[in-house]
Amino acid sequence: MPDAYLFDAVRTPRGRGKSSGSLYPVRPIDLLAGALSALQARTGIPTDQVDDVIAGCVTQAGEQGACIARFAALQAGWHFDAPGVTLNRFCGSGLEAVNSAAAWVMSGMHDLVVAGGVESMSRVKMGSDGGAIWDMRTQFSVGSVPQGISADLIATWRGFSRQDVDAFAVESQRRAGAALARGAFDRSLVPVRDEAGLVVLDRDELPRPDTTAEKLGALPASFETMGRQFKLDELTRARYPQVERVTHVHTAGNSSGIVDGAAALLVGSKEKGLALGLRPRARIRAMAVCGEEPVIMLTGPMPATRRALSRAGMTVGDIDLFEVNEAFAVVPMAWMQDLGVEHDRVNVNGGAIALGHPLGATGAMLLCTVLDELEARDLSTGLVTLCIGGGMGIATIIERV
Amino acid sequence: MSLPDSLFHNDVCSITARFLPDGGRVAILNLAMAGRVNRINAAFGQGFSAALGFLLGDDKGVGRLEGLRGIIVATGHKDFCVGADLDWLLTARDPSDVMAMVQGLHALFRRLETAGVPVVAALTGSALGGGYELALACHHRIALDDARVQLGLPEVNLGVIPGAGGTQRLPRRIGVQPALEILAQGQVLRAPKALARGLVDQLAPSVEALMEQAVAWILAHPGCKQPWDGDGFKWPGGHPDGELGRNVFMAGAAMIFARTAGAFPAPEAVLTVVQEGGRLDFDAALQVEARAFTRLAVSDQAKDMIRTFFFHKNAADKHEGLPALPAGQDAGIRTVAVLGAGMMGGGLAFVAASAGYDVVLRDIRPEALDAAMARARQQADKRLKHLSAGERQAVLDRIRPTLSAQDLAGADLVIEAVVENLAVKHKVIAEVEPLLAPGAIFASNTSALPISSLAQASAAPQRFVGLHYFSPVEQMPLVEIIAGRDTDDPTLARCLDFARRTKKTPIVVADGYGFYTTRVFSAYILEGAQLVAEGRDPRLVEWGARQAGMVVGPLQVFDEVTLSLGSHVLQDARREIGEMIDIPGTRLVAAMVDAGRLGKAHGAGFYDYKDGRRAGTWPGIGALVEGLGLPRATPDPDPVAEARLLGRRLLLAQCAEVARRMDQGVLLRHRDAEVGAIFGIGFAPNTGGPLALMDRVGLPELVAELDAMAAAWGPRFAPAPVLRRMAERGERFFPA
Repeated sequence: MPDAYLFDAVRTPRGRGKSSGSLYPVRPIDLLAGALSALQARTGIPTDQVDDVIAGCVTQAGEQGACIARFAALQAGWHFDAPGVTLNRFCGSGLEAVNSAAAWVMSGMHDLVVAGGVESMSRVKMGSDGGAIWDMRTQFSVGSVPQGISADLIATWRGFSRQDVDAFAVESQRRAGAALARGAFDRSLVPVRDEAGLVVLDRDELPRPDTTAEKLGALPASFETMGRQFKLDELTRARYPQVERVTHVHTAGNSSGIVDGAAALLVGSKEKGLALGLRPRARIRAMAVCGEEPVIMLTGPMPATRRALSRAGMTVGDIDLFEVNEAFAVVPMAWMQDLGVEHDRVNVNGGAIALGHPLGATGAMLLCTVLDELEARDLSTGLVTLCIGGGMGIATIIERV
Repeated sequence: MSLPDSLFHNDVCSITARFLPDGGRVAILNLAMAGRVNRINAAFGQGFSAALGFLLGDDKGVGRLEGLRGIIVATGHKDFCVGADLDWLLTARDPSDVMAMVQGLHALFRRLETAGVPVVAALTGSALGGGYELALACHHRIALDDARVQLGLPEVNLGVIPGAGGTQRLPRRIGVQPALEILAQGQVLRAPKALARGLVDQLAPSVEALMEQAVAWILAHPGCKQPWDGDGFKWPGGHPDGELGRNVFMAGAAMIFARTAGAFPAPEAVLTVVQEGGRLDFDAALQVEARAFTRLAVSDQAKDMIRTFFFHKNAADKHEGLPALPAGQDAGIRTVAVLGAGMMGGGLAFVAASAGYDVVLRDIRPEALDAAMARARQQADKRLKHLSAGERQAVLDRIRPTLSAQDLAGADLVIEAVVENLAVKHKVIAEVEPLLAPGAIFASNTSALPISSLAQASAAPQRFVGLHYFSPVEQMPLVEIIAGRDTDDPTLARCLDFARRTKKTPIVVADGYGFYTTRVFSAYILEGAQLVAEGRDPRLVEWGARQAGMVVGPLQVFDEVTLSLGSHVLQDARREIGEMIDIPGTRLVAAMVDAGRLGKAHGAGFYDYKDGRRAGTWPGIGALVEGLGLPRATPDPDPVAEARLLGRRLLLAQCAEVARRMDQGVLLRHRDAEVGAIFGIGFAPNTGGPLALMDRVGLPELVAELDAMAAAWGPRFAPAPVLRRMAERGERFFPA
């Protein structure tokens, strides 16, 4: 079976996902097309030789509806021979895109694939695509709760206090601030430009490196009203009757930020790379995806990590750096607890709490981040994992070559 | 019989016409099915269909009544229509029959609302369930301005949902959220309130005025269509698929779950069909409702709830099979004396006064009398809102608080609610009885002491009886009437009359320690304590009970009745009924009392309390249980499975006790088993009652399960001989 290689990786900066955010005036198709153009410019690939363009996008409605990957490629001026497909595995979409591309290459079906993701959360509101999760018949037969309640349920169950999760958030902000200061993201980062070529945004605009535990401690718990007053906490009891009362610890300050952004990676076979004169930066060592109980929902990274490690014949000790998506502070905290990994190898440049989580793009962006950092530190192996709505997890292990 | 000017009549309705000045006609379709009520069944369908055929002609309008300008649907009975024929619903098991029935109704109501002429419902009496759905299929509803006229959709209380379009028409008429409140809670509203909530469009001061208003509305709205059949229909309050609608459904689902713990599918189905139907064309929406209705209607839960909440409850309220006063004779109760002005005595005084009795409320503590009167005033403000301030005052004025036994002279009925102590009660009986009017009844509100033992102090044991009420008596609908060994039928008949006037549903049982309800209730809360004593997680005990359908978890109830009371009762009980109740759980209760955890009133029990509100189960209980060194069980490591197991055990502990009460001749009627358990002690309403539950399990299976549980957990689970006998004979408590 051929190996799949990463030849290059780019991402846009993450803009605050509201109307005051810098990327709000930018169409989602332009975010993705910009990333594709930058990737093409950096690698010089002939776009008629791209076997597919696959992009994750969660809220596929309105401007992000109707297969944005196809139209972003055309918008970027790519040859119409390069097709496009858009996928949705919720927050795992961006990583799923890369994994799918790798699987196609490994199967021999494709030689060169561009994989990434896009989400303009400022322009296309989360949930505006409807779906079965809002359907009461599904609700009563499946049972699920909004993610924030799942996150608070995990914290309650495992005994993480508000102080614990806030302290994690402060550290995420501190790390992101330090990373920005030393240009840790620069290799992947490509500015977003307008139609006249002017720079709209060239750096991540969400981080607040100066934040303190005191400031975070003053924020209201985001899911308390929903959970208590509207009684959504009660829905957890069918599966977790031993938790009498959910303690609400997650806030806007210790959960992932809502942002806009896109990413694109070039995935291909060794032969195709040689033919095009491309130098591979890393090899995909293993991939995994798994399902998890949907009410607790956010603990999927643990089994996904274990499964990926097992596929690769590795242990956590064999991995140099981890990126565990900070959907909510409790997710990487519980992951570290279960996997027995210290924080100094996890999210070393901060995470989505500081930088934001553009749903469909995040998985691809985390690959950019870990690859750049492995190179900067001259380390070898990295693992990226994300929790996923509906109770799923996804993981990918890369190894520099 | 055909009225002189009737154009048409059959066994469902007759049609008369009002002529308009221009020669047009308004048809008045008067529903008057045989008997005293109109109800929706196959005969209704046929008769109503024929009447519509007469008015509207065939599908193409051929044969339509000439000059027809509008239709008024009215009633020839007191009520407009009281809903579906529950005799049919109780036994309908074939889903295709049910589906055909409701689809036939849907077609009929569609025909009415697409008649091309305005249709007005003339609600001169109550319109409930299917009857109100018929009114919803009219274009306009006018109700008589009379609080006796009730309107609403109570179906979920019987384990089903409205099946004649109510789940689709009501939200399209008044908006999703207001409709869900009615539908998911099975609300029934009096006419004035129904107007405020949009269930009717107009009120009329009299029947005549109502008909005039109906004709006027028809003349003002020629060619009327339902809003949902018109172009550009807009949902009042927003589309169910909009963001607002979505939030309403999500919060609605959570609130329903908080209330039902998932044990009641009907309110859940309300949410699903309103939402799903809301996305579709109207006829498809009706199909969504029909499918959900059919699923629920053929379920055991619906059958069992209909049997108990409708048939058994009605039979109990009508005192079927119970001693009655001779025709034309009154119970001879004018003045009621209540002894003891605690929660129960004070509440009883208020209940009796509300029913029009003169009440003497006696206590030896002036502060108790003051507190009781203050509470009565609060209750009057809360429960007698429909009365004027003067009428409310008159109710309170009928209660005479007194410290003096002499003021009891001349009472026709005495209800003692003094402390649960045989000696004290004997003393009170001996003191008070001589003061009473000749032929007076002496009743004890004891919850456990045998009536025959109490009657030993009475000079007239034939007129000595148990009237066991439930707290808070202003709210709890049940009275358990206990006939002592010597209690005679006229006394029971007079007490039943008192129950009727005080709006209590009676069960009548024979004497024996704890009678019926207290024994079953005790079995429940003691089993709760026992489970904790075995080392089970109290949170799973509580949740297990709730998800099995119990209204309140056993530990919460134990805290509410207070553990020290439980502990006193236990001593009595041990004396009266021996070692059956000597389970480790009682040692835990004693240890809790020793630890000062007496229950809710003391701010600490199985639960912690903060500002009088429950704040989670007491985390210290594990250590306390450990310290007792009692035998430990091995809980299922899966909390969901464990909770299910505990719920089952809590239900079956009660069922075993119910069977024993039956076996020992205390429980005399199957109906009383169900009514007493459901309305008295909050037994799982989703089951229809303990007997229905046992039928559902299957008696042979039940006997085997109880035998196994008796072997594992003790003789309190052993199946009573009656169960074995019935199982062997292949009998059931109720027809399948």
